[in-house]
Amino acid sequence: MRGIIKRFPGVLANDNVDFDLRQGEIHTLLGENGAGKSTLMNVLAGLYQQDAGTMLVKGKSARFSSPRDAIEAGIGMVHQHFMLVPSQTVTENILLGLDEPRFNLHLNDYDRVVAELGERFGLKVDPRSKIWQLSVGEQQRVELLKMLYRGADILILDEPTAVLAPKEIEEFFKTLRSMVAEGKSVVFISHKLHEVTAISDRVTVLRKGKVTAAGLEMKDITRQELAHQMVGREVVFRLEKNPQKPGKVVLEIRDVHALNDKGLPALQGVSLQVHSGEILGLAGVAGNGQRELAQVIAGLRKASQGDVLMDGEVISNRTARFSIQRGLAYVPEDRTHVGSSPNLSVTDNVIMKKYRKPPVSGGWTIDMGVAKQFAQELKESYDIAAPTVETPVRLLSGGNLQRVILAREISGEPAVMIAVQPTRGLDVGAIEGIHRLLLAQCETGTAILLISEELEELRSLSNRIMVIYEGRIMGETQDDEMEKIGLMMTGTPLTQIEEQGSAEYV
Amino acid sequence: MWEFFVRSLDASTIFTLAALGELIGQRSGVLNVGIEGVMLFGATLGFIAAQSTGSYLLGFLVGIAIGGLLGLMHGFFSITLGVDQVVSGMGIWIMGFGLTTYIGNPYTGPLGMPRIPSILGLSPFFYLGIALVVITWFVLSKTSLGLRIRSVGENPSVAEVSGIDVAKTRYLCVTIGGMLMGLAGAVYSLDYNPVWNYNFLMGWGFIALALVFFSMWNPFILLSGSLLFGTLWQLSLNPQLVLPGVMSRYIWRMVPFAITLLVLLIMSTKWFRIKWGAAKPEALGQPYVKE
Repeated sequence: MRGIIKRFPGVLANDNVDFDLRQGEIHTLLGENGAGKSTLMNVLAGLYQQDAGTMLVKGKSARFSSPRDAIEAGIGMVHQHFMLVPSQTVTENILLGLDEPRFNLHLNDYDRVVAELGERFGLKVDPRSKIWQLSVGEQQRVELLKMLYRGADILILDEPTAVLAPKEIEEFFKTLRSMVAEGKSVVFISHKLHEVTAISDRVTVLRKGKVTAAGLEMKDITRQELAHQMVGREVVFRLEKNPQKPGKVVLEIRDVHALNDKGLPALQGVSLQVHSGEILGLAGVAGNGQRELAQVIAGLRKASQGDVLMDGEVISNRTARFSIQRGLAYVPEDRTHVGSSPNLSVTDNVIMKKYRKPPVSGGWTIDMGVAKQFAQELKESYDIAAPTVETPVRLLSGGNLQRVILAREISGEPAVMIAVQPTRGLDVGAIEGIHRLLLAQCETGTAILLISEELEELRSLSNRIMVIYEGRIMGETQDDEMEKIGLMMTGTPLTQIEEQGSAEYV
Repeated sequence: MWEFFVRSLDASTIFTLAALGELIGQRSGVLNVGIEGVMLFGATLGFIAAQSTGSYLLGFLVGIAIGGLLGLMHGFFSITLGVDQVVSGMGIWIMGFGLTTYIGNPYTGPLGMPRIPSILGLSPFFYLGIALVVITWFVLSKTSLGLRIRSVGENPSVAEVSGIDVAKTRYLCVTIGGMLMGLAGAVYSLDYNPVWNYNFLMGWGFIALALVFFSMWNPFILLSGSLLFGTLWQLSLNPQLVLPGVMSRYIWRMVPFAITLLVLLIMSTKWFRIKWGAAKPEALGQPYVKE
């Protein structure tokens, strides 16, 4: 692939990316979330079409307009979310969309073919089972079989280990090696460094859509260097931070456990403390329990174990209203659905946590005059660009909507504020404005827990940074130890990093 | 008694044909609640065509064609335009109700043609219905076309990635489904009760719709459900034939609808779905929008 460029509305996902894959190798594509790994491979697999750039497959120029074209050229992709029909059998899923068998399925015959193919590549699975009866690891095997059955000899695996247990991963790696031994080539997408070092022959690193390391031989590079390439270190923007003068502990989280929406453990004993007048940054790759942690603190999710304390009072497993009354502000990740009510006006949105109390509340009724005046004041002081305070907030831009939410939360003079990805998807100017608001709020003595995936943001705002990985805190660092943060984000506890110094480990 | 039995089977046949059409569409993920409207169209236009040409064959062909056309229209709204399928279906019902009343009004009265000969005492459509049930079952569960249809109804994005044209498959199913509904309507107005009257169907289509849910999307259960409802329907029309003097006929008239309601209620409980692993197509009612 040469000079691949792919744009999405407002984002340049791939900026002039080169990538090459040799026969019989495992080539890792490494990068943070949103670095453009999956986009690049979706282009190769025919799901997206590139805006510019060329692809050569086995020496021949190729341009795929559908996944079918890519498969005909021998390229098969196993997606992060499995592309299987749960109510159908393994064989049915494998035959899906093929020209052969033409009409009558002859399922018994094909069951045998599928079983043989599984035998050959060490991908054992009962062809007659329905997909929903299989474990995630088995489903992955079906995905691989589906690609192999279609004669794919270039396999793209998008974060295949994310769903596997450690033991399954070992087995999976064995399968990969046996496939490579048969002459297949594999692109392995991952952001877990220890797996990358364990399995790859070569590695290409992407950061913000650009290649930062191209096709390096794995033996020539250390994990340290990879982490560096992946996270980057240039300082884009830096604000004057609060000199650290931490006050007393306002928010304390003690050994909190919680389940995610699927009922699986998302938090496995998180403990941390936030002092008044400081910003504690919580870093981590998306989906490692950040969302659940914020929800537990805000009272939107039950903690199965452990407590959240504010000023020494337990606020977890109560109602959201309970903690709001005690001065908790929550800036949720999903600003259009959780953070605001899109069809209601700016006024309605900013009084949402105030309407029970005077002066906005006049007993049973809401004093709309006072409410409007209040909204007008906030609109001016927070520089919210809206035609009037009666405008429904769905018409506002992301940055202005976030200002509305922050105006509401800050005007409640909170003691503690939880901000989850407060600048996600905003442009540079809006980000700066939001950052200034957070810093100003911190200066007034509010304890802020800033949960973000943007390392730059955490660096420029936080007094301390903690890293969360699979629902556990990996450690705490000061802001300039970016490589340590990178390693912790990929699952190495700080204690281990310090023990081993800068050496490599598996 | 024999007469009652034959009439019940005739009624069941109409339920079977219409519900089978709905089932095919639903397996591909498209819900058509306008089934009553499609049947009204098929019945009325089929009736008019047969009466004005004197040809039964032409009457049925017109019924099938208008059904297919309405299926195609529903497809255009719900597949290409991505409109809410319930809204589009309701539109078809209301349009069918209004337009057929207007078009059919001058033709009010009996068909005035010799009855369609029966085979072994039963309507020929009874045998056609059974054959279509078997064919539908075979195609859906034993052929690659069926696999494609089921996949599109379960998970269109998976189907797309596997190289299947989702829109084409859905169009095929709603059109064939519409043709079957149109045929069911024509069978009603040309064979079962060859008299045109204002809103003569009075809910047959809705019962057929409920039958699809009742069948758990399995053609054979659908057939047995049709037999059950066909008998109940007949019983509600002439309860005195079988159970003279039991309950007022107005209460009997209500029984099929009450049972429909009950069935749908039970079917929609979580308990039922877990116990029977109901095979409701996952993507039913959801328009598929390509990225």
